[in-house]
Amino acid sequence: MGLVEFAAAKTLASSAVFLFITVLLIAAATRTSTCIVLFAAQCAVITMQVVAMAYLHRSGEALVVAAMVLLVKVLAIPYALLRIRNRLNVPADISASTTAAQSVYIAAALILLAFAVVQPYARAFALDSEMLAVATALVLTGAFLMVSRKKALMQVIGLLVLENGIFLAALTTTFGMPLVIEMGIFFDLLMCVLLMGVFVFRIRDTFEHVDVSRLRRLRG
Amino acid sequence: MTFAIDLLQLLVIVGAAPLLSGVVGRIKARIQNRRGASIFRPYAELRKLFGKEDLVPPTASPLFRLCPVVLFAATLAAAAFIPALHASALLGNTGDFILLVYLLALARFFLILGAMDGGSSFGGMGASREALVSTLAEAPLLLGLVAVSIVAHSTSVTSIVRWAIGRHLFQLSPVHALAFVALALVAIAETGRVPVDNPTTHLELTMIHEAMVLEYSGPSLALIEWANAIKLNLMLALLIALFAPWGIASSASISALAVAAVAYVLKMAVLAISLAVLESSVAKLRMYRVPDLLGVACALSILAVAFTALRR
Amino acid sequence: MTLWFPLLLPLLGAFLVLGFKNPRAAVRVALGIGIAEVLLLGNCAWKLRSAGVLQQGRYLRADGLTLFFLINLGLIFAVVLAYSVGYLRHIPKGRFSSPRWFYALVFLFLFTMVAAYLSANLGMLWIAIEATTLASALLVGFYNTKGAVEAGWKYLIVCTVGIAFALFGTIAFYLAAVRGGVPAEMALDWATLMTAAPGMTAARELLKLAFVFAAVGYGTKIGLVPMHSWLPDAHAEAPAPISALLSAVLLNCAMYALLRLDAITSHAIGGNFSHTLLLSFGGLSLLASAFLMIVQRDLKRLLAYSSIEHMGIVALGVGLGGPLGLFGALLHAFNHSLAKTLLFFTTGSVRETFGTLRMDRIRGMGRALPSTSAVLVVGGLAVAGLPPFGLFVSEFAILMSAFTQSHYLLALLMLAAISIAFGALLYHFQRMLSGEPPGSPASANRPRPLAFEIAAVSICGVCLLILGLHVPAVFISVLHGAMAVLQ
Repeated sequence: MGLVEFAAAKTLASSAVFLFITVLLIAAATRTSTCIVLFAAQCAVITMQVVAMAYLHRSGEALVVAAMVLLVKVLAIPYALLRIRNRLNVPADISASTTAAQSVYIAAALILLAFAVVQPYARAFALDSEMLAVATALVLTGAFLMVSRKKALMQVIGLLVLENGIFLAALTTTFGMPLVIEMGIFFDLLMCVLLMGVFVFRIRDTFEHVDVSRLRRLRG
Repeated sequence: MTFAIDLLQLLVIVGAAPLLSGVVGRIKARIQNRRGASIFRPYAELRKLFGKEDLVPPTASPLFRLCPVVLFAATLAAAAFIPALHASALLGNTGDFILLVYLLALARFFLILGAMDGGSSFGGMGASREALVSTLAEAPLLLGLVAVSIVAHSTSVTSIVRWAIGRHLFQLSPVHALAFVALALVAIAETGRVPVDNPTTHLELTMIHEAMVLEYSGPSLALIEWANAIKLNLMLALLIALFAPWGIASSASISALAVAAVAYVLKMAVLAISLAVLESSVAKLRMYRVPDLLGVACALSILAVAFTALRR
Repeated sequence: MTLWFPLLLPLLGAFLVLGFKNPRAAVRVALGIGIAEVLLLGNCAWKLRSAGVLQQGRYLRADGLTLFFLINLGLIFAVVLAYSVGYLRHIPKGRFSSPRWFYALVFLFLFTMVAAYLSANLGMLWIAIEATTLASALLVGFYNTKGAVEAGWKYLIVCTVGIAFALFGTIAFYLAAVRGGVPAEMALDWATLMTAAPGMTAARELLKLAFVFAAVGYGTKIGLVPMHSWLPDAHAEAPAPISALLSAVLLNCAMYALLRLDAITSHAIGGNFSHTLLLSFGGLSLLASAFLMIVQRDLKRLLAYSSIEHMGIVALGVGLGGPLGLFGALLHAFNHSLAKTLLFFTTGSVRETFGTLRMDRIRGMGRALPSTSAVLVVGGLAVAGLPPFGLFVSEFAILMSAFTQSHYLLALLMLAAISIAFGALLYHFQRMLSGEPPGSPASANRPRPLAFEIAAVSICGVCLLILGLHVPAVFISVLHGAMAVLQ
């Protein structure tokens, strides 16, 4: 099965490229639905990584994890987010505080920062520095998205990208944690997204908008 | 022998350019549920224009009739750099990609001059817009080509292509992926396609390229239109040659050339269909948002160059 | 089975309570379930006292530290449950504001906290703490006003981001354990990690990184500055019993998680790094909250900042370490939960009488609400750290620990912050209590406090007094048992 091994190894090697592309495209996107689709694509890339890793390490547990990633992060959560977005009935524009070009510049700077930060640690702990850099870049970009986007739903997407980064870091350093813990984490994530959906609707109903930069009544 | 093949290659690029425009237009029409004009219509258009009289505005200088000639010559010279069928080009050893970029810039410069010389306000408007777009597009174009050339250890386009033929698909690197996206965005801006400029618009306030050629007629207009088509063919062939060159003949045998021709047609078809789909599905950007798009391209190309250092 | 019952009963009870549409029936069922839960927790504590350590399967474990915190949880929950029966009369009717939703959410919240206390596994601990955020978010936004929704959203977002960092820290601990030779399935088990910790010195940098992330992550839930931005909003906008639960129990729960991780780190690479980090966070929280308490205008926000201050003191105690420091920290967590619960209980009747919690609009509380004012004064004195209440003893223990370890600057800082906080409390309370009440008829027809409410308040007060005058020997042995687990 040399070809499948080869394909698995190559998938792992080149998935970093695709993750970078999705990160940059999310930073450049101007509509919420585009971001949700790009997030689903990102999770699909991660699923393929998990599958490749499951094959290379002969681990059945990792296949279960891959199935969970597929079901929860590629299908369930984006579907829930798209439904929320369609029922919210607010303008589709992302209302970011930075333009698309500035966001891509900042995302690119964050990717380079991630590489710079990860290099010494990766060498010290004998880890795959490129994957870890991608994970750190995802975390940083997720944080940037949460800060620069003013729509409540975009904050949720930024949070999900951040969690993706942490999941990827777990994947590359430890090849996944015990299965029960992974399942618990996924369940938590799903509940979290649903709860945030409930809150976004409440924000829209009480405030008549979903612009979180205008939620400034509680200060000091 | 190589000279003959390279000359043939240049004639293919130049001669097939109107056909490419026709095909893209026909696919767009089909997507929009129309029957569309014949794919050979641009040839008929060129023949018609060459037979007509060249009307010059009374306020124009001799520069007005000179500009389309210089434009066509520069574009022709630029087309002689691109290895489309064979891993070498007519001017392949004369200069590197910087010369290519600046030949295109020379062509554009004279087009702008000619537009302003025409004396109409739309010409001036189109010229200023084209200047803005081309200034912003130059940086990502150069940086993207720089990134690719660093990885290939050479600045000559033909050497880069020969290096790229030696690799295979699974060695996808972030440098190439990012440079491809950046150069694709630049190609759209350089050739004046949606979402930067709509080549089929008739509303003058939305024009960039069309506004510059409003005053031209007859053979001058034919030269300008042909040069525009050659530029589209050139940019697409450049993208193919740099990022997906498999099929290009390394030797001068007939079979290799035949394979190369088929590969060229297939890849051009894919790109033409993608371009048509893109043009039909995306709306043209308002002028003040075009710098944003080109800023994205610039950021991507800077990142591509940065990655050449990180991947060591 | 002793561990499964108190864990599963709140979960089942939550769904059970939802089935009772009649408010009175729902309240009665909830009371029943709550009393059963407190009894089960008591039973669990009793068994723990005799057995020392209880383990059920791979994921449930209870030891001396768990015993201490379970006593804390059981006591506060019983008191809050008693108070909430009367408080629910005041909640405006809405689609999701009925007693059955309130109690269902409270029981879910309780389930997640018991799960956090009983978890044997760092991963389960993380899942449970994340679940507490999810379970309490809807409780924070219970009133569905603009302020409540904004507070709930901020709480959800900030705490989820913080907990995500804690997940990274947990993963780093797992990695360090696996590198240190612990088999992969047991590498998240706390007891295994404690015994294997001395062998993990090779992964020194990794452990430091892990602890930093865990401190930032769980510190967000504890409310340490600068990760505290959600705390004043959430505690101020939630209903009073929920504010009491959040301030008293949830902060302690997050501190419990941090204590577990700090124990592992100290065993592996010595306490220097982790304790310095805790000292800096604690000191920063103390100073920032003390100063911010002066400029507060809302009563519950004032109490929330006071919670931040006291959690800073607990962090200081843990960071100082040693027999006195840790003793003081644990005792302080317990005392603070009692005092803060007492204070939050008064806010209910204050809001009902004056219609607002803005302190500049409340005047003459001493005349309008004499009993509530008495409780407020008692709670205020307790929270300020004055004798004869329990917080004085714990703060004194921590200060002694600081002096014996020659951390004079730290002790000075703590004293200064406590004094500033005391001054702020005195200023605000004095303005509220004195003067003429606005002569509104609201004070005339204020509802009589239920027996439940009086009982709840007095239990808190009596416990505070007992802990201040003479800590019972039984309690001291429980505390020593908890400390022994962490050493």
